[in-house]
Amino acid sequence: MVDVQDENNPAESPEMIKPACCDTFVVKKKKLGVEYFSLTFGPFSKIRACRPGHFIQLKLPDSQVFFRRPMSVAGVIPQNSEMEIVLKVVGRGTSSMSRLKKGDPVNILGPLGIPFKLPHRNESAVLVAGGVGVPPLLFLAETMISKGFDPEKILFYYGGRTSADIILRSRIKSLGVRFSPVTEDGSYGIEGIVTEPLEKMLNGAKGEKLRLYACGPEGMLKAINNLGLKYGVDGQISLEALMPCGIGVCLGCVVPLTEGGHARVCTEGPVFDIGKVAL
Amino acid sequence: MTPDLKVTIAGVEFANPIMTASGCCGYGEELAQMFPLKKLGALVTKSITQEPRLGHPPPRTAETSSGMLNAIGLANVGVDQFIVDKMPFLRSSGTRIIVNVAGSSLKEYVEVCARLNDCEGVDMVELNISCPNVDEGGMEFGSDPRLTEKVVSAARKVFSRPLIAKLSPNVTSIEKIAQAAEQGGADALSLINSLVGTAIDINTWRPRLTNNRGGLTGPAIKPVALAKVDAVFNCCRLPIIGIGGISCVEDVVEFILCGATAVEIGTALFVEPTVPVTIVDGLKKYLKRKKLSSITDLLGKVRKY
Repeated sequence: MVDVQDENNPAESPEMIKPACCDTFVVKKKKLGVEYFSLTFGPFSKIRACRPGHFIQLKLPDSQVFFRRPMSVAGVIPQNSEMEIVLKVVGRGTSSMSRLKKGDPVNILGPLGIPFKLPHRNESAVLVAGGVGVPPLLFLAETMISKGFDPEKILFYYGGRTSADIILRSRIKSLGVRFSPVTEDGSYGIEGIVTEPLEKMLNGAKGEKLRLYACGPEGMLKAINNLGLKYGVDGQISLEALMPCGIGVCLGCVVPLTEGGHARVCTEGPVFDIGKVAL
Repeated sequence: MTPDLKVTIAGVEFANPIMTASGCCGYGEELAQMFPLKKLGALVTKSITQEPRLGHPPPRTAETSSGMLNAIGLANVGVDQFIVDKMPFLRSSGTRIIVNVAGSSLKEYVEVCARLNDCEGVDMVELNISCPNVDEGGMEFGSDPRLTEKVVSAARKVFSRPLIAKLSPNVTSIEKIAQAAEQGGADALSLINSLVGTAIDINTWRPRLTNNRGGLTGPAIKPVALAKVDAVFNCCRLPIIGIGGISCVEDVVEFILCGATAVEIGTALFVEPTVPVTIVDGLKKYLKRKKLSSITDLLGKVRKY
């Protein structure tokens, strides 16, 4: 098992885990909002290998959807061998997912990618979710807390366009983290965009040991990447990409790196250190 | 008795006719996580060029009906790094290694082939004279019979092991290109490479690929590929490796019946990375059911009207 890092063990390097290709079923479906759904699949043989930041490639029983779809792991229930994903209906793939019913067969390839590095015990973790980027961060917060990390030291920023885009809020609140929802229209939480209160906090927290974790739209990630560099705060961002294979062979999901060259989001990512990717 | 899946192409014996297509299996390391590569008849590497190439900026793939478009742009590590960093793993993989070679000039094809000739463990070279996604070279060599013959015979002079020419379907007569490759000294032909295509985002009016066009692959192109294999089988004596939309046992059988000695699996690997293993097992069952002792009993046996 991965542990929350401490000062004596800072070099925890997550390795690529050998993925499995597994036929399984929808065991639970929950509507989380107008366009948002939670789907739970099981059994999945590699459930105990799944870490926050990992993703799966989901094959749908729908001939209109040719590729698998990369989906972040939103949570695991190891004792039931089940995993959860959370989705927003945006296109053909997610639309097909939203029509899945309990008992429907799916195929999961995973876990894939490089997961988040957990924070050191003397750090505060600043999680920043944008829209449907929330699933891996929820999984991260839950994992940290289950490993004894103080929820008071988790700052959970969550930005969306309106109140309807701040999903899973009772679950986040129940973790006991310091929750800061932000909406563009002010219909829930702070009014504005999520990076504004984040920068205010970073500005006032000079000298504190912080670690940033972010997942959301590219514009938000770009801003957070820049804030991390500006305030000298280490951290990681999780990227989304069009991803035909998910295992590093098609080279379809590359992003440019600041040091030059490309990295595959599926294999070198989806989690990258702040400053690594030329956003 | 277990049916025999062994096939021989240009004197090289393959454990079975199932190969992974260039550009769909990297340099083998990633796929080896999914199944032991020795289960394959052969692995065909990503196209190798003389210098490293980054390829096109993303997006460089797009989903289509029953297939995909890609314009990766021959991203690869270059022949020197390939030999030093990638060949040791491939040599130890227990499968045959076919190195796909691309170039933007005759000189580049020759120099890459000459380097590979000195490299132990390269069983064959597949000349990519049919890539639709680069501005220079590539398909140019595979769409003019004279250039095809020229590039094949030039590579022939510097590469002493068997040479495969990979043909494009984006030509008026694939038969003429096949005959030109034979004339130039190719030992085998592989076909088809991808079909030129595009797709547009109707919200932004932008093509879905930064290269504006790409190559169509996947189940959508299988009927085209089968017809091309049939056409070439009937006009040329070289052994054929069939490629195009193969994703199940039935597809493989169709290709062999139309004249393919072996097949390469490409896009299907993206959806089902373990599909070669499923197909190898399925082929044995098919032969048993048909009471055939060898996969070669199917070769070219399509019963035409």
